[in-house]
Formats: sequence, C-alpha cells, structure tokens
Amino acid sequence: MSGLPGARHNKVLIVDGDFRSSQRLATLLGEDGYDVDVARDASAAIVRLGRGPLPNILITELKLPLGDGSALARYAHSQASGVRVIVLTRYPNLFVPAAFGAVPPAVLTKPLDYARLLEMLQGHPLSGESGAEAASPRI
Amino acid sequence: MLEHTLVPMPLETRYQEIKRYVRLDERDAQLLRAFGQLAAPELPRIAREFYDRIREHEEAHAVLTGEEQIQRLQRSLVAWMQRVCSGQYDERYHEQTAIIGRVHVRIGLPQRYMLTAMALIRIELLRIADRALGVEAGPTREAIVRILDLELAVMLEAYKDSFVERIEQAARQERSHLDSALVEAEHRYVSAVELAGFLMVGLDNQGCIQLFNREAERVSGYARDEVIGKQFGEALGLEDGAPLKRYLGELLAGGAPSRVLQACLRTRANKLRDVVWTFSTDKSEDDRIVVLVTGRDVTDEKAKEERSRQNERLAAIGTLAAGLAHEIRNPLNGAQLHVSFLERAIKRKAEEQDMLEATRVVGDEIKRLANLVTEFLDFARPRPPELKPTSLSKLMEHACGLVDASAKAARVRLTCDKPSSDVEFPADTAKMTQVLLNLLYNAVEAAGAAGGGNVMLRGRRGPRQVFVDVEDDGPGLSSPDAPIFDAFYSTKEGGTGLGLAISHRIVTDHGGTIDVTSRPGKTNFHITLPIEIS
Repeated sequence: MSGLPGARHNKVLIVDGDFRSSQRLATLLGEDGYDVDVARDASAAIVRLGRGPLPNILITELKLPLGDGSALARYAHSQASGVRVIVLTRYPNLFVPAAFGAVPPAVLTKPLDYARLLEMLQGHPLSGESGAEAASPRI
Repeated sequence: MLEHTLVPMPLETRYQEIKRYVRLDERDAQLLRAFGQLAAPELPRIAREFYDRIREHEEAHAVLTGEEQIQRLQRSLVAWMQRVCSGQYDERYHEQTAIIGRVHVRIGLPQRYMLTAMALIRIELLRIADRALGVEAGPTREAIVRILDLELAVMLEAYKDSFVERIEQAARQERSHLDSALVEAEHRYVSAVELAGFLMVGLDNQGCIQLFNREAERVSGYARDEVIGKQFGEALGLEDGAPLKRYLGELLAGGAPSRVLQACLRTRANKLRDVVWTFSTDKSEDDRIVVLVTGRDVTDEKAKEERSRQNERLAAIGTLAAGLAHEIRNPLNGAQLHVSFLERAIKRKAEEQDMLEATRVVGDEIKRLANLVTEFLDFARPRPPELKPTSLSKLMEHACGLVDASAKAARVRLTCDKPSSDVEFPADTAKMTQVLLNLLYNAVEAAGAAGGGNVMLRGRRGPRQVFVDVEDDGPGLSSPDAPIFDAFYSTKEGGTGLGLAISHRIVTDHGGTIDVTSRPGKTNFHITLPIEIS
C-alpha cells in the first residue's frame, strides 16, 4: 500500500479507552500510509510521549482512563510544540477549548466519519466539527 | 322649719377672699392714695430701670419685640404703679389686675420674672416711702407690701387658671388619643382578620361558626352569611369529619389541647382543597367565640411539591439517559470503524458487490443511530438559549439560503416573504435557524413528494411579537390531531421523530408558541415569538 499523499512521515498517536476501536482505526490509518501508535489510557500515552520519535498528530478521547484528554494534549505540547491534536469523543459537550491551551484542537464526535478524519489530516482542519463549531459543540 | 330661718349669705368672691387674706383695708387705701402723690415723679424712672433689668435676661428679653414696645410697656408700668397707689381697690381694680396677669400668661412671661420684677418695684416704692416719710413711713410701708401682695396673688391666679386649663386640655387630648388608639386597634384587628392570608373561623361553645374571614370565603366559595350559625364541619363539608367532630367536642368541653389537623374542605363548587387546620381555645367570658380555627390551604403547595418530585424523577432519568446516550457513541464508533474496514476489504474483491452493499447499509444505520443520539441529547439536555437581538429578515434569508439547493433538487419553489421593515427580536440565532431549517426541510419534502410544489417562509411583525409562518402546498398531515410535537412521533421513514419536538422546545424556551394547521394542499406552521424579553 502506497498510502495517501501527505501521510508519509506523519506519526499518529491514538489514545482511547476503547482499545479495540483504536486498533481498528490504527489499521485504517496504517493502510493509508500513516505510522500509528495506540495507547489505551493517559498514563500509557505519557510514557509513549516520553520517548522518541514523537508523534506529530495526537488523536485523543476527552474522557480517558487515568486522565483526561485536555491534560494529555497540554503535556504533548510541552514535549513537542508542533503536535497537532484532534479530539475524538463521545462527550463533545465536555469540550472546553481553553483547557487545551493556546491552540484549540479540532473536535470530532463519535462515531467517527473516517473520510472526514482523512480530510482533516490532509490539511483541511476546518472541514469537520473543528474551529467555530468547536466553540459550541454538539452535545 | 330650719330652711325658713336661714338667710342666704352672699358668697365671698375670690378677690374679697384675697383682700381679706392680705388684710388690705380702707386705712391702707388712704395711705396708698397719699403715697401715690409722693411717688408720682419717680415712677417713670422705676419703669425705665425695671425694663433695663428685664433686658438683661435672655428669656425675659425674648418676649420683647423692640424699643417701641418697651417704651409702651414702660408707660403701662407707670400707669400700673399709679393704679396700685390709686386707693380704689374694688372689683374693677381686681379685674384689671387679672387682665394684666392673663396677658403675662399669654405672652409666656415666666413666673420667676414676674416675682423678681414685683420685688424690684416693691424695693423702689419702699425706698421712696422711707425717703419721703422718714420714721413715720411704717404704716405706708405695710400698705405698699399688702397691695403688692394682693397684686401678686391675683396675677398668680391667672397662672394657676392657665395651668388648670392646660392640664385639662392635656387630659382631653390624652382621652382623645386613647379613643382614637382604641378605634385604630379595632380597625387593625378587623383588617388583620379580614386580610389574613389564611382561613380564620371562630366557633361558639356549640361549635357553630361565628366568624368567617375573607380568605375563608375565597377558599370555600361560601359567603359568611351562608355559614354563620352552622356547625363547622358540616358547613364546610370537611372530609374525615368524624375524628374532627370528636376532637372539637373534646376541645369545647375543655379536655383537649390545641392541635393541628389536616382535613379536606369541599368547596361550594364541589372541589376538594387540602387544608391544615390549627385549633386554639379562647374562653374569655366577654366573647362568644371560644374556639379559633385557622386554616392554611396547602392544595397548591402539595401539587407543587408533587410536581417538583416528578421533575426530580424526570431529571434523574434524563441524566441517566443522557449518560447512556453518550456512552452509546463508543460502541457505535467501534462498529463504524469496523464497517469502514470491511467496506475497504470488500471493495478489493469485485465479485462481492452485494456484501459491499450490506456493509453500506450497516454504515448508514450506524449513522442513523448516531444522529438519533445527537438529537436525543439535544432534546433531553438542551443548553439554554443565548438570546441576542436578531434580525428577522436576516434569519429568514439565511435559512432560505441553506434550504435553497434541496428545494431546487425537489423542484419546489421556495419563497422568502420578509417583513416590509425589518424587526429585531431576542433569539439564539443558531437554535432559531435550526427551527426554521427543520420546518423548511419538512415542508420541501412534503411539497416535493408529488413531484414539485411551493413552500413559503413568511415573517411579520405584531405589536409585541414577531410571527413566522412556514407554509407548503403538500398533501397535509395524515391526521390534524396527530401529536406531531411529541418526541419520537414520526411518519417519515428514517426520521428520528425528534425534529419537531426539538423545534417546539426551542420556541417555548424563547417564550414563544408554535402550532400547526393542516389540510390537503395547505399546511402552515405558525410561530409567535416575543419582541421584548418579559
């Protein structure tokens, strides 16, 4: 599989308590050329962020085992300021942009529309529920 | 017999009594008359010195109005001293002295100043007598002392009369105040009973109603004339009357303490009201009322409590349901990702196109479930509207713009009939757009069902409201009484049944109303929204 244009050299870290779904998402992204790691809780994600090579894309649930997505995103930024964060959550009502620091992430509500995620990853960050919609997310 | 022998004696006047007391007689009158001639040249001097003394005292000076008045008073003092030495001490003399005394009282001259003034004049006159008569001045001195004592006595009478009058006036005022206080107290009592926010019923020693206040009339629906003299329990149709009647009997017999009882009252309109009654006894002998019953109508309170409990239950269920709905998104996400994976795998095998179709159906169903979850949460846990001044025309244009493509695709002519002059009203623009889109998509779908039609979005301004109508010429609702605004009511295949319920909720959250009229060929959703936030 040659992968999608722009996917090469992109390292993605998926963090979600629903490990089986994360693995399936990792499979799909891997087929599309992304280099993907999966962590099943915030603690495992922090361990992963503690060693190189660091991901440049973080896909995280808001409510995680052993932590929350916003704290994890802030930690990721402290490790690698250029990391791009996408929130994939079943609780979009709990999303508070300010909790993520200076750069508010894009938000996608579960169940994931994979095509929209790909659009976002390929450089169309405002085509999903991010940006203006993120400020008043769907509940 | 005795009565015939008694000769009525003329009563001694007060003046005669004073004269007798100071022992002023005719001899004194003659001496004073003679002295008057001796003293006459010195009287103006005495008057001048007298008022000079007066002016030295602030309070005495305060009664004086100016030099002109002082000179007039000095002349009056000279005339008075001439009169004192006139030798004419009859009733007319007394009357003049009394007038002077009353003037002193009227102008508020304190008694102490009058006494010291009199002492000053006494000293001056005695000195004149001493100088003029030498060793023979004794009888004249005594006469001077007596006539001045008489003057003092008469003038002090004026003060006494004034005191008595003032005391009597104060007593009259006090009585008057007491009377009005009594009237006021009675008025307050009547008002307190009549305006009390609880039922007040007074019973005599037979348990018959003797007092029935306005609140009792209002709650029961009975006028007091209808219940006065009747037995308490029977007149008010109290339910569970037997224990109450028994208790009332014990209370009247003096063998029961005050108690609080709850008993339903049957109103004149035959409705039951829950009332909490408090009984208290008053056995004062001068009152016919021996038991005072106060009642608090707790019907609305209990209904409110029940509603509150119901709301709490619903809120708890809502919280659970919302939590469940959020959690459903995780398995849906898993299913969706696996379907995406399957779809991709099947696409690689050209011979398994029917399997591909099956995965697409599963994918669509997952999306439908996700949509249902989102709409359910929107309905069950809506965020309160964020009201901002919103242009009706712009709102309508925006909604029509979003639906335009769908209308064209369905061959529906969409008309946006805006108000002739724009109007702003408080609205959550996003939520209100959601309402209009919901209604417009429904209307386009209905009008387009027969291969094309018309949809009109109309906005108008009322005195205190805006009116928005969404009208289509589709086939109309299947039943005019269909509960279309109820949650999960849907006639559309694939519909969640929450769209109109959410729209209804949004409109009512804005303080507005939404209703529908429908017949074949014309369905109209009519929204009314307030212009001012009440």
